[in-house]
Amino acid sequence: MKFPVLQGWMVGSGQRPLRKQLAITLSAIFALSILVAVVLLNQLFGLQARDLIDQRSSFFMDAMLAVREYTSKDVNPIVAPLNEGPGGFRPESVPSYSAQTVFAYLKAKPDYREYSYREAALNPTNLRDKADSFETGVIERFRSDPSLTTLAGEKSTPLGPMHFVARPIKITKESCLVCHSTPDRAPASQLLTYGDSSGFGWKLNEIVGAQIVTVPQKAVFEAKDRSLFTTALLFVIAFVAVGLITNGVLNQLILRPMREISRKAEEASVTPATVSFDERNRSDEIGLLARSFERMKQSLAISMQMLKDRQGRS
Amino acid sequence: MSAAGFSARGPLLAALAMALGLMGCGQQPSARVSLCGPAGQLRVGFVGAEEGRGSTGAVVLPDQDISRLRDLLTVASQCEVMLEPVASPEQAHQRLGASEWDVAFLPPGLAALALESSANRGYSLLRPLGQRSQSRSQLLVRAGSDRRAVADLKGARLGLLPRGSLTGFYLPLYNLHGLSLQSVHYALSYQELLDQLRKGQLDVIAWDAALPDPGGDVRVIVNDPNLIPVGALVLSQPLVAADHQPFLKLLDESAAQLPPSLGYVAGVLPEAQPLQRLRTVVTNVESWTLPLEGRPYAVYGRKQQLKDEGVMR
Repeated sequence: MKFPVLQGWMVGSGQRPLRKQLAITLSAIFALSILVAVVLLNQLFGLQARDLIDQRSSFFMDAMLAVREYTSKDVNPIVAPLNEGPGGFRPESVPSYSAQTVFAYLKAKPDYREYSYREAALNPTNLRDKADSFETGVIERFRSDPSLTTLAGEKSTPLGPMHFVARPIKITKESCLVCHSTPDRAPASQLLTYGDSSGFGWKLNEIVGAQIVTVPQKAVFEAKDRSLFTTALLFVIAFVAVGLITNGVLNQLILRPMREISRKAEEASVTPATVSFDERNRSDEIGLLARSFERMKQSLAISMQMLKDRQGRS
Repeated sequence: MSAAGFSARGPLLAALAMALGLMGCGQQPSARVSLCGPAGQLRVGFVGAEEGRGSTGAVVLPDQDISRLRDLLTVASQCEVMLEPVASPEQAHQRLGASEWDVAFLPPGLAALALESSANRGYSLLRPLGQRSQSRSQLLVRAGSDRRAVADLKGARLGLLPRGSLTGFYLPLYNLHGLSLQSVHYALSYQELLDQLRKGQLDVIAWDAALPDPGGDVRVIVNDPNLIPVGALVLSQPLVAADHQPFLKLLDESAAQLPPSLGYVAGVLPEAQPLQRLRTVVTNVESWTLPLEGRPYAVYGRKQQLKDEGVMR
């Protein structure tokens, strides 16, 4: 299929100066290139932004696991005996509490403000951690497929679409069951704080909840858009620079010598003897053209001389 | 600059505009300003309007009510909501003291306590919660007990609701000022206290006059004259300073979707005066060394008299 109008507009039909024709052609090529690049990079950066968020989410969850481990191994043995005494319940002994508290401090930093971390459970001690319908679905998937280690995807919320990454929480330590098996094993201070209606009946090796990191989709798009804007801007700067350099080179190598040859040719048509095509010494196409004009000038001078001689004799 | 130069840059700028337009496709306009706490979330405490009424095993809030309330608060605040229903007023007391809640649904005692905090860490009352009732603090003993007056309670084993409860903690201790007790014990519900009283594990317990008649096997030994006001929805001072009216308006419009047990009253400001009066009680008791579970306790400390005070016995 041929588009003569487009082709003529793009490559030039001789209706405009050469410099303008080249500028239009280059601009069209550059604009098309940038458009195609932006469309492709939009997809690529979207995937990269999501990967970055997934990586950061995984890091958060690993960090929170480490906090849980530290609390379980080092803090709980010191604090848990206090919960057997007459004072109030000290939640610092609970790994989930320490992980969520540490994350709250992390979230206070502007870089992590968009991230949310939950340790949602089907039957938590603190009802703040009660899984909603979406979280329940995630936990049930982990429970039905124990080989599943991570789930990621999108969820809709009243605040708009969110990207989430989730990992299962499995009870692997017998010490967890002190507070979560039956009320009679739990510290009295725990019962007085949380009651005896929730957070019990957990079993060893059971998946009871999930670590869930969520980020607004808007944040993913914004991260992608920042990368895309920077890249598109670099493309435009590079193409403008290429266009200007091409323009300058074209002017220096072709347009200026051609304008000079054209001026001399016009002068030679009147007084050929006074004109000299110095460009004939060049070995490129401009030199070839100058040599042709030089021969034409000499022919014209001879013809004019013969005409003068003939007029003198008559 | 030549005309050719302009003609070369025009399409490039158009391409940039196209690129920017393409990038803008994924963004959504923000419809409303969000009402978030300093942590970037809206931390909501839920104690409910009626403390100590359920049995110990009863859940604070049914699952479907938790989800519905969380969604409603999210829509109203346009912020991620961390809803924490708590069974124990003691836990709520800690949260309020540490300013760890931005919004809270509180019973009267905790509402008075929230007002008690310093100006920059305190809370403001937004809406009343709960139904008006004949709620008064009482102390009960077994019907066959020899104890007839407050002075007879010296050396008794006292049962209370956790710290934070007006009828179950502050007023009973306020009315027992000057007595030495053998021990103090706590339970999450009046019913559990009543069971322990009947079993002889306790000698005297805190009670609320608005509760159903406990039966003939127990009798009232102290009847506090102060009528207990309703609870309140409270908002932390930083959020009061922010634009919280759209949040409140949406809650008012969606009052029917709030848990009925909450007794949320739309469009009405709570009466602060009755709570201010009871703040005196809360302030006094909070300034004392407070009793520990199962330990002897002397009810002693500065006691500021309430106006028109009179304890009926």
